[in-house]
Amino acid sequence: MTKYKFTTVEEMPPLAFSLESTREIPTGSWRHVRPVYRDKNSPCHVTCPAGEKIPDYFELVRQKKYKEAWYKILEDNPLPGVTGRVCYHPCEGQCNRAGYDGAVAIHNIERFVADKNFKNRKLPAAVEARKSEKVAVIGSGPAGLSCAYQLSRLGYRSVIYEADHEPGGMLRYGIPDYRLPKKILDKEIKDIEALGVEIMVDSKIGDNVAWSELERYDAVFVAVGATHSRKIGAPGEDLKGVYTGIDFLKELSTGNVPKVGRQVLVLGGGNTAIDAARSALRLGKRVTVLYRRTRVEMPAVPEEIEEAEKEGVHFEFLVTPVKISGSKGKASEIELMKMQLGEPDESGRRRPVPVIGSNFSMRADTIISAIGEEPDLSFLPYSFLRKGIRLFVDDEHTTGVPGIFAGGDAATNPNGTVVNAIRAGKEAAISIHEFLGWRSRSNGVSHDAVKPEEVNTFYFPHEGRVEVPRITVQKSKTTFSEVNKTLTEEQALTEAERCFTCGTCLHCDVCMTFCPDVAISKDESGEYTIDYEHCKGCGICVNECPRGAMELVPEGAREAVEEVEHI
Amino acid sequence: MMEKNVANTKRDGLLHPSIDKVVVIEGTHAASHAVKLARVQVIAAYPITPQTSVVEKLSEIVSDGDLDAKFIKVESEHSAMACCIGSSISGARAFTATSSQGLALMHELLHWAAGSRLPIVMVNVNRAMAPPWSIYVDHNDSLSQRDTGWLQFYAESNQEVTDTVLQAYKIAETVSLPVMINLDAFVLSHTSEPVALPKQEIVDEFLPARKASFKIDTSDPKAFGALIGPEAYMEMRYKLYRAMEDARSVIREVDRDFAEKFGRSYGGLVEEYMTEDAETVLITSATAVSTARIAVDELRSMGFPVGLMKLRVFRPFPVDEVRELAKHVRKIGVMDRNVSFGATGIIYQETKAVLYNAADRPSVFGFIAGLGGRDITPETIKEIFSYLMNHDEPESESVWVSLKTSDADQGARPFPETGAGIRRSEGVK
Ligand SMILES: Cc1cc2nc3c(=O)[nH]c(=O)nc-3n(C[C@H](O)[C@H](O)[C@H](O)COP(=O)(O)OP(=O)(O)OC[C@H]3O[C@@H](n4cnc5c(N)ncnc54)[C@H](O)[C@@H]3O)c2cc1C
Ligand code: SF4
Ligand code: SF4
Ligand code: SF4
Repeated sequence: MTKYKFTTVEEMPPLAFSLESTREIPTGSWRHVRPVYRDKNSPCHVTCPAGEKIPDYFELVRQKKYKEAWYKILEDNPLPGVTGRVCYHPCEGQCNRAGYDGAVAIHNIERFVADKNFKNRKLPAAVEARKSEKVAVIGSGPAGLSCAYQLSRLGYRSVIYEADHEPGGMLRYGIPDYRLPKKILDKEIKDIEALGVEIMVDSKIGDNVAWSELERYDAVFVAVGATHSRKIGAPGEDLKGVYTGIDFLKELSTGNVPKVGRQVLVLGGGNTAIDAARSALRLGKRVTVLYRRTRVEMPAVPEEIEEAEKEGVHFEFLVTPVKISGSKGKASEIELMKMQLGEPDESGRRRPVPVIGSNFSMRADTIISAIGEEPDLSFLPYSFLRKGIRLFVDDEHTTGVPGIFAGGDAATNPNGTVVNAIRAGKEAAISIHEFLGWRSRSNGVSHDAVKPEEVNTFYFPHEGRVEVPRITVQKSKTTFSEVNKTLTEEQALTEAERCFTCGTCLHCDVCMTFCPDVAISKDESGEYTIDYEHCKGCGICVNECPRGAMELVPEGAREAVEEVEHI
Repeated sequence: MMEKNVANTKRDGLLHPSIDKVVVIEGTHAASHAVKLARVQVIAAYPITPQTSVVEKLSEIVSDGDLDAKFIKVESEHSAMACCIGSSISGARAFTATSSQGLALMHELLHWAAGSRLPIVMVNVNRAMAPPWSIYVDHNDSLSQRDTGWLQFYAESNQEVTDTVLQAYKIAETVSLPVMINLDAFVLSHTSEPVALPKQEIVDEFLPARKASFKIDTSDPKAFGALIGPEAYMEMRYKLYRAMEDARSVIREVDRDFAEKFGRSYGGLVEEYMTEDAETVLITSATAVSTARIAVDELRSMGFPVGLMKLRVFRPFPVDEVRELAKHVRKIGVMDRNVSFGATGIIYQETKAVLYNAADRPSVFGFIAGLGGRDITPETIKEIFSYLMNHDEPESESVWVSLKTSDADQGARPFPETGAGIRRSEGVK
């Protein structure tokens, strides 16, 4: 290189600056920590029980590649139209944007993507080669559907045995139309069938199909759900005018209108109770929900409770039924007892304890009891381990009987939600795959989720969460048509734009721009390379990265070495 | 604050055609409006009383879309100056404003800005240094930054603030040095006065967009402010020294140019008032000049041959102007609103220093007044004149004016109402 020599003041520039770039100074020797590119998990992805790759498909949404976005969701969840509507979206609870200006409306975008692909759709083909083994699935609820679907992606043929006349489980017979229209469910089930999954309806194991018939399969997945309403255990529960929530909702969803009086009382605090109450309201009745604890302990999805309140459902807390009485075999009155909250029980919620002598009565033409559902496992041979009312399974969803797997509401640790059933189906499919002698592809190294403080919010202007379009309360309480609407394309794009894309590099060039040593470069394929000859480990790139897609590792650490080999 | 348009160019034929409108605004806003007219591109500042309203107004101007500038909120004055340096080195016109402790916090980067030869303009609202805490005026804050390589202006009126900001960019961009414009806390910063705002087109003619002679260019990466060995450091310093020397004629030229376009002049580095036939002249700066004008008028009406020199520019120091004055006066008094501990008032020192090697050396007296916002009234100035006229030589190196002390020897005496007992004249030199 040329050496410049100034001999006089006059020749010198006004400011001392190098006449060439500083590349000849290998500042890399100053470094004791090393920046590396490392995509991390987003908290939403880690939290979604189905494991949807949320930041990945949001990026596709932003590029308006809606089909690709849908395909991305379908890798983990065959029912996005369903979860986009009824999932309790724990993902949003952990969203890093929550503490900034409101969580991203993840499940609304999920629904938008599903609905955007409602017409002219074709599922991606199976990912693995066809296998000869066949698997039986008992129950066509979300757990069964998810398992059969993932099995077909893995190349297996599967047959679903369904006791009912139509598939879907609680998605069809439990969750009402105003939350989940049947055409959405039908479409997603059709898709699964189109992959070669056979659904045999009106086929109840232990009834018209013998358990022994399943012996010809190489593996079985038990996903029979929890379809039996728990008994109240109070005298008079068999009187006319007393329904179980499940029966009541099932009647409605098969197109019949159950006979109900003007004054409807619903017992319970879960989704079934709320859905029964809102459904009865839509039949023009005065509805009161009676729950033995308080509002905060109600297990139903909080938004649903709010909706019910808005629509005019009444609530009475801290009461429990003692006796139902009536005349001519028909219920007309219910005796209740007041409760108070005591010590927390094993669920962590405070246990309700009766207040002795606090009994009182309420008039009622119709009583709907929805105090919980339990599985009917009577078709199973004795050899199966149980825990309480449920079938025992371990983390791999094995039952202890070789080749028999189980999951969803019928099995232990079910959490009793759609998305957990979908997760169980997916995980069981992988376990079955491994049981049949294959090694499943791991998802790669999983790092911790990006923490809120790792997001550089400087890059994200404040922008409130989208207001979900819906029909008015006046209208919603009189009709079974869907309450919430799908986001418009514009809303969905704005909302997807709000996502920080935690932990996934978006090739925004920020790291490269900020590097004071110009040590980061980008090749034609868009990949970044750090020139460790010059990177002095200041960490500015890592600090500046809007989304925590970089990391500083101690110099000489194993990760650092690996990373370099990678590059 | 409401800005009232008090004059109408159409109605009032006396107004200069360059004037867009005359508004009644406080000194800080006089600066903000000038920044807008100068089409500054980057503003970075941290709030400190009494500077806050300078940038507050600018934030409104920028958010209203009236000025196409980047407004950067920073976490300290140090960062504010860093932002100005960064933007200026990339070719932008940059502005910041601060005061007192804030200016002190900037100190390191003041050297950086000047050493990098960046034409940044800063408004400093002069506020006394703490402790004891004070938010009122004196000049120790800016004078402590004497040797950083910044040009320093001291404004007497709100109009002068506006006009000096416009002049400052032109001067700064010509000599490649940063300029600090000082205005007295509250006395000027928060006092409303009519200010003529010039028309944008004429400002644009006077002050075209900046053309940086060197700047950061990402396609030609270089390191700025590089390490330099002993073989060249001194020469770089000499360049800066020369630029400051050259600034004197540039300031005079720009003021003349300004007068031509806008009809107002501030005399370049100094402005003289009734000095032509004066025997005793007071040198002072900033708002005290206005007060001194009143005192001089009064004494003149009583027949005393007194005059006044307003020191508008402190850096570069107006060597020629002071020496010229010395040729025809008998006594010079310097009123400092500052003190250099272990020495005297700073302007007094500098005045004496430039006269030592001059052929004509009148007696030079130093007065310290108005620290920490103590009012300087016409009486204060007259006290100083009484001392000046009744002494042949200074009795001490600095006289603290209106000091609350029981020491009868310390300080000046009130000027007698009729002027009785004050020496009248020793004849013009
Ligand atoms: C009214 C209601 C509202 C709900 N709302 C929500 C909500 O908003 N969000 C949410 O996440 N979750 C909600 N849930 C819970 C959710 O629906 C369940 O957790 C989920 O459906 C469980 O899925 P699964 O596949 O385990 O069982 P299920 O959906 O119950 O499906 C089990 C299937 O197995 C069939 N079956 C049973 N026994 C046999 C047999 N012997 N042979 C063949 N087939 C058999 C049944 O007919 C049924 O179709 C709600 C539940 C109810 C009842
Ligand atoms: S399935 Fe549920 S948890 Fe998963 S992304 Fe959708 S809304 Fe969130
Ligand atoms: S900001 Fe985006 S990636 Fe991050 S947690 Fe929220 S939805 Fe997930
Ligand atoms: S700053 Fe941008 S380009 Fe760099 S790692 Fe982060 S997301 Fe990727």
